[in-house]
Amino acid sequence: MEDYKFLFKIVLVGNAGVGKTCLVRRFTQGLFPPGQGATIGVDFMIKTVEVEGEKIKLQIWDTAGQERFRSITQSYYRSAHALILVYDISCQPTFDCLPDWLREIQEYANIKVLKILVGNKTDRHDREIPTEVGHYFAKQHEMYFLETSAKEAENVERLFYEIAAELIDQARSKDGSSAATTAAQRQTDSGSIGLGFSSLSAKAAQSNCCSGLGLGNNDNASGTVGSNNTSQGG
Amino acid sequence: MSDELPEDYDLIVIGTGFVESCIAAAASRIGKNVLHIDANEYYGDVWSSFNLDALINLLEQRPEASLRNATYRWHDRSTSTEPISPSHHPWTREALLAKSRRFSIDLCPRILYAAGQLVQLLIKSNICRYAEFRALDHVCMRYNEEIVPVPCSRSDVFNTKALSIVEKRLLMKFLNGCQVYNIKKCNDDTLAFRGKTFQDYLQSQRVTEKIASCIMQSIALSNVNTSFEEGMERTQRFLRSLGRYGNTPFLFPMYGCGELPQCFCRLCAVYGGIYCLKRAVDNVSLDADTNEVLLSSAGKTLRAKNLVCAFGQVPSQIASNFGELRYNISRAVYITAHPLGGEELNKGGGGVNMMRLLTDSGDRDAIFIQLSHYSGTCPEGLYIFHLTTPAASNDPADDLSPFTAQIFQNNEPEILFSSFFTITSSTFSHSNTSPIFCTDAPSYELDYDAAIANARDIFGRIYAGSEFLPRAPDPEEIVVDGEDPSALSEHNLPDDLRSQLHDLEHSTQLIDIGE
Repeated sequence: MEDYKFLFKIVLVGNAGVGKTCLVRRFTQGLFPPGQGATIGVDFMIKTVEVEGEKIKLQIWDTAGQERFRSITQSYYRSAHALILVYDISCQPTFDCLPDWLREIQEYANIKVLKILVGNKTDRHDREIPTEVGHYFAKQHEMYFLETSAKEAENVERLFYEIAAELIDQARSKDGSSAATTAAQRQTDSGSIGLGFSSLSAKAAQSNCCSGLGLGNNDNASGTVGSNNTSQGG
Repeated sequence: MSDELPEDYDLIVIGTGFVESCIAAAASRIGKNVLHIDANEYYGDVWSSFNLDALINLLEQRPEASLRNATYRWHDRSTSTEPISPSHHPWTREALLAKSRRFSIDLCPRILYAAGQLVQLLIKSNICRYAEFRALDHVCMRYNEEIVPVPCSRSDVFNTKALSIVEKRLLMKFLNGCQVYNIKKCNDDTLAFRGKTFQDYLQSQRVTEKIASCIMQSIALSNVNTSFEEGMERTQRFLRSLGRYGNTPFLFPMYGCGELPQCFCRLCAVYGGIYCLKRAVDNVSLDADTNEVLLSSAGKTLRAKNLVCAFGQVPSQIASNFGELRYNISRAVYITAHPLGGEELNKGGGGVNMMRLLTDSGDRDAIFIQLSHYSGTCPEGLYIFHLTTPAASNDPADDLSPFTAQIFQNNEPEILFSSFFTITSSTFSHSNTSPIFCTDAPSYELDYDAAIANARDIFGRIYAGSEFLPRAPDPEEIVVDGEDPSALSEHNLPDDLRSQLHDLEHSTQLIDIGE
């Protein structure tokens, strides 16, 4: 098992072409992918960061192009700890769509999900949305706000590190009702089971062997089951 | 990125129900160019889950092809003769509707065997990463007009007070016998039951009546007509799924079964499938020269080598080719403020429980599912009861009446809302030359075996010889297309990128070794 204390799921939403994939790639791979194109076969990316002396594994999910015709699956939002809503500061329509995205978020995401509004492409010289306007919108809707440039690597690290720091704070605070908890805790609280993120699970299933598939006892009052698979590392 | 749909596809799939989504994902996964559309603004078609508002809207609509005979009723508290005790939460109609979004009500709820075909497929294909599940808390049965738990694990059998020591021995002996049974290597004892019913076999095993009904109702999921072989196979399926995730051999998808088609759609999209909801099809025709399918939708002509269409969304022009409408499943949905059965079955605020019901004559059966808020499908303090039986008529309430009588007989729970409807199917059969395929409507089954078989069959006809949903790589294993890091000149890179490149190469090597 890898050595990390927390696992957080972060999902990105926003109109097509605002730079969601670029933000993820810049952060996880240090690359700025040239040109536009759907990323085939990439589901989510993982980066382990160290914040406040803790190793944190971030699982960053992209929309897989389903935003193009406003057809994102609800299940995409489920169990996200943080949600990054992205618009393009040089493209008014991407900002105008924010209320639609918020509606969708409210409907399907956890009520306590950490929400961050990001104005991307600050490298562009044809800005249409002033920083204050973005800031004001974020404030109105109780979101954090940051402007970034995936191209120039501006504020990208900061964005994800601040999310990680905030989620750790939430997880550490005694308030058990916070959205962010360790994966293990989260599973016990909700009693839900993942069938396994790791490639181990597929092998275990084939061999009819239960190891790695999260066998649990059912002794607690709510009849919940812990899985040892998607849970935290050692 | 253009907002215009491209025009040429390998496969167009109409409808985002379970079977269609499986096929779309499988085609996309092997590199086919897929467009997946749905006339509805939600995923899942008749396999979807709805919040309370949306469910009521759906039931009020004029009958759709796949959903018929829909009725619903509020059981207003004012008409109840029971006095409302102050400790009770006043679940009025308004209070329920205010929490509408916390509901996720399935039209076709299912229960998954922990080692069943769907769970195996989800794990094998890595689609399991998109879903979470809850192990069912209890399998129940009705005995002497009481609802009692069915002992599932060895420790359950030991601990239960519902069975005497002799009964426990008999049950274990019987189950052990089923476990070692092999259809190809029958001993004389089992050979004699070939062609007989499972009930004949049960009676011959000299088990008590209680154990017999426990096995018939809940373990072998049979009725009086179930063949010996089928009953043995079902018992084995139950036993194989034990001890995997929880105390019972069953799982329920968190937030409802409507999540499952979406998981397949996500995989399809990850592999380049294009998604477009709220997209109706006006006409479908065949190009006589190329045998390609031409689809007109929103003033645009789309072209595909093959078309897969949900039975309920077949464009009217070709609907007549798709056979006759049949009543297939009768359904009831209840929202109540009390769970069914006693405290033992509902620890900590209510269980996610399953019970199979048989009519007194034993020839008809129904599946009862109780969902508490632990399943993510209803607010805390409320319960959803799902009842499903094969349709015998066009009156779902009448079809289900023997079963509703059974569950509500001695356990009058506080019903707040009830609804009945029929899920339909068609008698379509595919001609070998047509590039147009129609998926089956949901059938009466506990798990998704028939649905998966249908998806595999259609996929196999279109892409003979291709693997159905091979494992999708984990994110760590992916080298992003066209940007193989080793292709970059290492010396031109800044220090931080160079070290990342080494890490990447290192991890790639590790994967090779692992495989």
